[in-house]
Amino acid sequence: MKVLVAAKRVVDYNVNVRVLSDESGVDLNNVKMSVNPFDEIAIEEAVRLKEAGQAEEVIVVSVGTSACQEQIRTALALGADRGILVETDEEVQPLGIAKVLKAIMDKEQPEIVIAGKQAIDGDNSQTGQMLAALGGYGQATFASEVELGDGTATVTREIDGGLETITVKLPAVITTDLRLNEPRYASLPNIMKAKKKPIDTYTPADLGVDVTPSIKTLKVSPPAERQAGIVVETVEELVDKLKNEAKVI
Amino acid sequence: MELSLSNEQQMIVDMVRRFVREEIVPLEMHLDPDADQLESDDRERLVGKVKEMGLYGLDIPVEYGGPDIDVVTRTLMAIEMSQHRAGLYAPCYGVFGGAGLAQLFEASDAQKEKYLYPTLRGEKRGFFGLTEPSGGSDPARAIQTRAIQDGDDWVINGGKIFISGADKADFGLVFARTGGEGRGGVTCFIVDTDTPGFHVRRIVHTLRSAHYATELQFEDMHVPAINILGQLNKGFAIANDRLSRQRIPYSAGCIGVAVKAHEMALEYSKQRETFGAPLSNRQAIQWMLVDNEIDIKQATWLTLEAADRARRGDSFRKEAAMCKIVATESAGRVVDRAMQIHGGYGVTKDFPLERWYRELRIRRIGEGPNEVQRHIIARDIIGAGLR
Repeated sequence: MKVLVAAKRVVDYNVNVRVLSDESGVDLNNVKMSVNPFDEIAIEEAVRLKEAGQAEEVIVVSVGTSACQEQIRTALALGADRGILVETDEEVQPLGIAKVLKAIMDKEQPEIVIAGKQAIDGDNSQTGQMLAALGGYGQATFASEVELGDGTATVTREIDGGLETITVKLPAVITTDLRLNEPRYASLPNIMKAKKKPIDTYTPADLGVDVTPSIKTLKVSPPAERQAGIVVETVEELVDKLKNEAKVI
Repeated sequence: MELSLSNEQQMIVDMVRRFVREEIVPLEMHLDPDADQLESDDRERLVGKVKEMGLYGLDIPVEYGGPDIDVVTRTLMAIEMSQHRAGLYAPCYGVFGGAGLAQLFEASDAQKEKYLYPTLRGEKRGFFGLTEPSGGSDPARAIQTRAIQDGDDWVINGGKIFISGADKADFGLVFARTGGEGRGGVTCFIVDTDTPGFHVRRIVHTLRSAHYATELQFEDMHVPAINILGQLNKGFAIANDRLSRQRIPYSAGCIGVAVKAHEMALEYSKQRETFGAPLSNRQAIQWMLVDNEIDIKQATWLTLEAADRARRGDSFRKEAAMCKIVATESAGRVVDRAMQIHGGYGVTKDFPLERWYRELRIRRIGEGPNEVQRHIIARDIIGAGLR
């Protein structure tokens, strides 16, 4: 069985991003970039399936500029077998990525696609769902546990207020939640091995896919600055303020 | 000329950085501010993780089972490994394992069996005994401890000072005079600490609260001739090789601490408000931050250059001396500025700054005082005849 993993290059979660003065986006100059943390969980899950003998090959795909090779190499160092870079300098949006992944699925015929439930840059949480819809595949989002059966996957989903367990037919798209697993550290031997693992490069046009953005960004602005806190004298005062000033209770 | 990291180096650096931030720093919140050891179960757990990462026994040569890491990558790792409170003298609390005394790789097969392999397995500990009360910067001349042959034994009399860990060691390397004056008359002996006549005279307390040094005395101490490391009267070369090589990780440790202190100062200066604006809006503070940035960058490049020369097998004596001076002095300045920016909080034990501030002061003296490093550079650029 083949497992396809999607890995996005995003600003590292430790970086405090700065909004550009023209409000067109955030400043990416000299900013540390990493694999989207949810995708790292996806890579870990795929590698565990392989280690458990349930998958034969783990293929990692990234869509974006040539710099995405760094993130593919990281995934290879974590245990993926080979990489696919779909190279484009266009701004890629969920629908564009989903179309690319659909084309790669047609080419590679994996039984499972694992991706992060969202990327920490755009926080869209759309790509996995769109991919499942485009291909008519099974869909299990926000997974905190995955178990493979015969041609099926049983997935525990984290939903508002509890857990939901569903069974989907393969091929299926699974998106990962935080609690699915704890990604490992790469190891020195695997980092060295990753150097020799193959990465195929395509353009969206090679795959017959149009990734032209369908959404126009009008404005990017930083979140409102947090106001300084106050110390209240009594519980009554606190309750009063929460009720009448903050209006949260 | 290639001034950027390879993809693999970047991944290794990222991996170690994440390890320090996610595994080491959180544990420090529960440790004494001057601790230099982890609880044993934490230690075991983290050693297990490091072994899985394939990085255990960092300084053990590949042929003895250590990981295959070049000295530049090793230096980059050292810069990451010291980025926590105990990082200067106990990088990652030793969970990456150590090779112990590098000189033992030059030992005879029988000596390796008895001392090297047990050290690599973590069963034995050794100390390095070079410095004497008469001086440590110019050991070739200063060594007064004497060894006189008596049949199959050598009888050693004398003493050493500022020796780390000798009270907890099973054996040590003791440099003693066996011939005439100068570097041609010094021999290195492997001495078991239970040898009659071996005394730890006292513990020398220093401004490092967790660590201390010892003063040793040798009184008619009989050491068998088979315990000579290397050759008779050629001990100085063994000591000297270590001295240049050690300066690179010594510098890297200082840089790591400076990087972390600077990062803390940057963050704090943006949060702390005085007279209605964050500290980072004040030019007086901005210039401190800028100077930190410059200090760190120059120390990093000099240290990486020394490491790169060592990697290529070129002479790196001058470069090692330069990076030792610049890294130790600039890290001291960076931590001093970070402390100033933190104000009163900077001197509390709630922050690691005060520990770094104390410990960094030793770094201008340890591993060859900076004046001696300047002397080494002067000799290199003016001529070998300079004494």
